[in-house]
Amino acid sequence: MYLQHLHLRNFRNYHDQIVQFQAPKTIIVGDNAQGKSNLLEAIELLATLKSHRVSRDRDLIRHGIPDAQVAATVAHRYGTNDLDITLRDRGRRTIRRNHEALRRQLDALGSLNAVQFSCVDLELVRGAPDCRRRWLDSLVVQLEPVYAHILQQYTHVLRQRNALLRQSKRESASVPPAAIALWDAQLATTGSRVTRRRARVLQRLAPLAQHWHQQISGQPETLTLHYAPNVPWQEDEPQQVQAAFLTHIHQQQRAEQQRGTTVVGPHRDDIDLLINDSPARLYASQGQQRTLVLALKLAELHLIESVVGEPPLLLLDDVLAELDLQRQNHLLTAIQDRFQTVITTTHLATFEAGWLAASQQLRVAAGAIAPLL
Amino acid sequence: MAAAIVNARHQVGLCQTCFHLSAEPVCSICSDRTRDPHTLCVVADSRDVIALEKTREYRGRYHVLGGVISPMDGIGPDQLSIQPLIRRASKADITEIILAISPSVEGETTTLYISQLVKPFVKVTQIAFGLPMGGDLEYADEVTLARALEGRRELL
Repeated sequence: MYLQHLHLRNFRNYHDQIVQFQAPKTIIVGDNAQGKSNLLEAIELLATLKSHRVSRDRDLIRHGIPDAQVAATVAHRYGTNDLDITLRDRGRRTIRRNHEALRRQLDALGSLNAVQFSCVDLELVRGAPDCRRRWLDSLVVQLEPVYAHILQQYTHVLRQRNALLRQSKRESASVPPAAIALWDAQLATTGSRVTRRRARVLQRLAPLAQHWHQQISGQPETLTLHYAPNVPWQEDEPQQVQAAFLTHIHQQQRAEQQRGTTVVGPHRDDIDLLINDSPARLYASQGQQRTLVLALKLAELHLIESVVGEPPLLLLDDVLAELDLQRQNHLLTAIQDRFQTVITTTHLATFEAGWLAASQQLRVAAGAIAPLL
Repeated sequence: MAAAIVNARHQVGLCQTCFHLSAEPVCSICSDRTRDPHTLCVVADSRDVIALEKTREYRGRYHVLGGVISPMDGIGPDQLSIQPLIRRASKADITEIILAISPSVEGETTTLYISQLVKPFVKVTQIAFGLPMGGDLEYADEVTLARALEGRRELL
């Protein structure tokens, strides 16, 4: 897929900005706080309906304005699609595809696929488990849009169950068994859907990540992605997994009542990243960590391509300059001209020549974008 | 007009049997002798009764819960008319209970709760969820389609 055209109105620090993407690689140069990442954020919003930086729509709108709009034209193999999102200071957002409002926002997922790589992703190795869960979830959503709904339902069940546990704790009463059993069953049903899908996607991602890791590191190191679910299960059968949930809930009953919150479920999953069987979090050097994250991103790109049938976009937010020339080269060979890439940077000096050749170069200053002369 | 609203506010209460909105102690549906007394349709809200009545396809009686189970809003089974439902189901010669509660997380939890309680003495069914009539398969959203697939049935 190819993003041809992007129109931002009152989005972040942009007033009214049109960007035409004219080459497979677009490099956006600008000083800090001029709007580079905001542009990538707009693309991320179209692809995932979320921003990894903020959770409220209000924060995406230019200060003092009631609404903002992000519109895009995306070329697919079978034709072009127009997609636009209106964000409101107060009230719900509206999403339209080909100028028709979508009844369900989740329907917009899949119109545009993108893999983002920013300095936040370097946290994937060292950071807390929730970084890795969020990363995996956003990948699963792109591959199986229904997952967004499944995750939403799980979160909803979790909130209801927590409300019940909290209430009992506050009143220092034990939770009524009939009431909690009901939410146990719902937690098992929705939670097993989440964990099974996460496992399935990781299983497909692992060999790709291993392949790219070997390519980039040029060494016989083995990268292993190991899913560490909070509720361990063996057989990929809905009943079996649900039974595992119920057993685990039963074991943790006392802990849950004491803490007044749910401690069982995929909201406490983790993904172990191992290099030669030792945790990368503890032993990997800075360079190894970078190689690892880059391998994960390349694996994502190729997995999305094979599932969706079209190459997704690659968004590189301020990270290319941080990679050494050798890794830049690997990335370049891996993406060729097949994956449309949007790159932000503060300076072009550290770029490998191959990246600069045949790329479209833009300059952003104070929320205005113009060709770089 | 204002007087009419005030009057309505004073006169409208709940039916003692099914908890549907009613000006009389027993609502017009419960007192209608031509309606099948053996089938009960359980809904969350009086508005659902009105929606189902519009179809004129259902000839049984109703039971209105007055909401769905939602701990976040402080609504547990005791805040709903679930005990009266059990009493009705166990007392009268009810042969089938149809659960017609929206498929939200809370709705499904409520459905699960009621079905567990009444299953021992009566046949329990749940209305089907899926594609709207006249809707094209290709335009249905994935969540609905997945749900419709889940509830597929064998052709007889």
